[in-house]
Amino acid sequence: MTAPQRAARWGRRLAALTWKEVLQLSRDLPLLLFLLYSFSLSVLVSGAGITMQLHNAELLVHDADHSRSSRELIHRFQPPYFTLKGEIADARQGLRELDEGRAMMLLDIPPRFHEALMGGEGTAVQVLVDTTNAPQGLSAAGYTVRIAGAFGTDMGLASVGLSGTKATVPVIESAHRVWFNPNQDETWYQSISHVLRMITLFGVLLPASALVREKERGTVEQLLVSPVTPFQIMWSKVLAMSAVILIVTGLAVYGVLRPVFHVPMKGSALLYFLLTALHTFTTAGLGLVAATLARNQAQVGMMALFFVGPMLLLSGITAPFESMPRWVQTIMTMSPLRYYIDITYGVMLKGAGMDVLWKSVGAMVLLGGGLFAFGMWRFRRQFE
Amino acid sequence: MNVRVIKAVAFKEWKETTRDRLFLLLAFLLPVLWLVVFGYGLNLDVEEIPFAVVDRDHSALSRDYLYRFMQSRYFSFRGYAEDERALDRLLTETKIRAAIVVPQRFEEQLAAGQPVTVQTLLDGTFPLHTDIAKGYVIAINQVFTEERLIDFLRQTRGLTEEQASRLVRPLKVEVRYLYNEEVRSTWSMVPALVMFTLMLASPLLTALGVVREKETGSIYNIYSSTVSRAEFLAGKLLPYIAISIVNICVLWVLAVGLFHVPFKGSFVFFFLASVVFILCTTGIGLLISLLVQTQMAALIITMVVAMIPTILFSGLLVPVSSLTRGAKVQAHLYPAMYYTTIVRGSFLKGVGAGVLWIDLLALVVFATAMGGMTYHLFTKRPKT
Repeated sequence: MTAPQRAARWGRRLAALTWKEVLQLSRDLPLLLFLLYSFSLSVLVSGAGITMQLHNAELLVHDADHSRSSRELIHRFQPPYFTLKGEIADARQGLRELDEGRAMMLLDIPPRFHEALMGGEGTAVQVLVDTTNAPQGLSAAGYTVRIAGAFGTDMGLASVGLSGTKATVPVIESAHRVWFNPNQDETWYQSISHVLRMITLFGVLLPASALVREKERGTVEQLLVSPVTPFQIMWSKVLAMSAVILIVTGLAVYGVLRPVFHVPMKGSALLYFLLTALHTFTTAGLGLVAATLARNQAQVGMMALFFVGPMLLLSGITAPFESMPRWVQTIMTMSPLRYYIDITYGVMLKGAGMDVLWKSVGAMVLLGGGLFAFGMWRFRRQFE
Repeated sequence: MNVRVIKAVAFKEWKETTRDRLFLLLAFLLPVLWLVVFGYGLNLDVEEIPFAVVDRDHSALSRDYLYRFMQSRYFSFRGYAEDERALDRLLTETKIRAAIVVPQRFEEQLAAGQPVTVQTLLDGTFPLHTDIAKGYVIAINQVFTEERLIDFLRQTRGLTEEQASRLVRPLKVEVRYLYNEEVRSTWSMVPALVMFTLMLASPLLTALGVVREKETGSIYNIYSSTVSRAEFLAGKLLPYIAISIVNICVLWVLAVGLFHVPFKGSFVFFFLASVVFILCTTGIGLLISLLVQTQMAALIITMVVAMIPTILFSGLLVPVSSLTRGAKVQAHLYPAMYYTTIVRGSFLKGVGAGVLWIDLLALVVFATAMGGMTYHLFTKRPKT
């Protein structure tokens, strides 16, 4: 037999094994339906469902002054950040409302507010913020301080006749230009990050579970005495599962992200899907390493959960990567998702190409290669 | 229901679990390690935003102005850029998330008492972080503006420093942070993380319980035995409930002992609610186990069902009040949200059954529904 014939036979065997995996998955109806749901309806719900920016923080007001100034200040708390929940007669009642979670903030304006402000003697307002949810509470407090500060300066300047036209005073005006998502459309971010989570979860679990299944049932012994190599056994699973994930990712991108949320695809779609394939290979590598360490599905599930959880929360989709502690950043260099985040947002929103992404891609190739090599080594050692 | 039979089934399940050393180890280790890793590692605050600067003025004042950003712990200076084209490149490469462009004649105009517009470019990929970064910029600008105004008033109106500053800053804002007085992210995070770990780890314990027996065929022993449906299900759940109860206590000790989160509520109430919550989560696993045919499907579906709604809709990262209607409905159908309220309430607010009874009731209803559904779905007379 010549070398090309041998290669063709090798390829045919790999293809046969891969096809077997696809068939097996397609006959698992609950899993298949769930896979489709995760990449379609689920993306829709979480894409449209979350607004993380401070939104409609419920504000209660206790106004002991009822003057022009106090009304003017209250008036500056506007949607979309704040909604006025109403006025209350005494501050203790407000505290009770906060206790029961019916409002997020209480603005307490003292008596003689207007007088003190105009008379130049200075005054203070008190703000009570529910910070059970620290980031939102801080954000609300930050807005309040800014609103009140600007209001105070305006009033102060007005009292010496410098009101209205600011052209006569030295102030810094902030002009912002937001790039890549000019309207700060949160559905883009939420829907994309949901797809990222799903790809990663399925990318680890599908191949890991498929390999452990053979080990648990003992069918892997049969495969190993058949004329296929351990490499073919492992690769067939990775190929099959990556293909399936690529197809459902296509569904998510062209079925939900583009038509429903109008997420742009500024870069090359081909590049995006190629790099998605690279990501699924790398996550599959993680899954396979877990699969070689586990003896049954329960073990592999626990192990996968063990590192998938931190991957999803610490790689930079849920919280900014830059502000993570150094040791987390170091550990997360092992997370393929960390690179895939830059790749996905880079290609879709920023129109980045390989000239920009080569570093992330290189890191992922190294990581994936290393994981596969380790997995293969473990797998061979177990069966030879 | 015969207690002896339940005991026998539970004992068999317990033996099976304890003999799987790796699984048992992970079942106890995972919650502990997760709480430590996330408790120390998950930082939701937006800090160290990498930024670059284009300084067209090169004056003493522009340097003083930019120095405010470089000094702030919210920003991390990454260097000067030549022009906006260079900034464009840096933003696309995700080397920076923000950029500040100081215009020409910055010092001159401010000295002449004229307003100046400072342009800020922001990366909009993560709208929440963009929003927060914008807030930081505005705050720094506001402080700088106030200082300029004080100088200006002193020079043009001949006021003293004190008079001018009272004019510019007539209004003080006293912010009081409730329930989490020091607004430490860990304080609000750790109780929610207790929920997160229990929610993710416990369904996985039960998810494979029934389906494993289906796959290996040992379920036929049950079908042909005198064990009733309820006895079988109860016996299946008991060992995993026991493991989870140990985990509740360990997590509580870690939260109070290691992270020094104050526990202001009643431990009995917290413990009781936690057990009900465990019934819900292990019930979810058992239900999935009954609905699918393969361990692979059970494993993957359980992981996704436990993880995604918990990350998105439980109040862990996003308060439920900022969800839109569809997502809010989903949040209310899922036990995690109620338990988050209970944990945060018990730890930080010190409220008890008087306020939290409704959440506990929701959990009881959910647990009962799970019980009813699993009982209804499990049949000893399978069709095929």
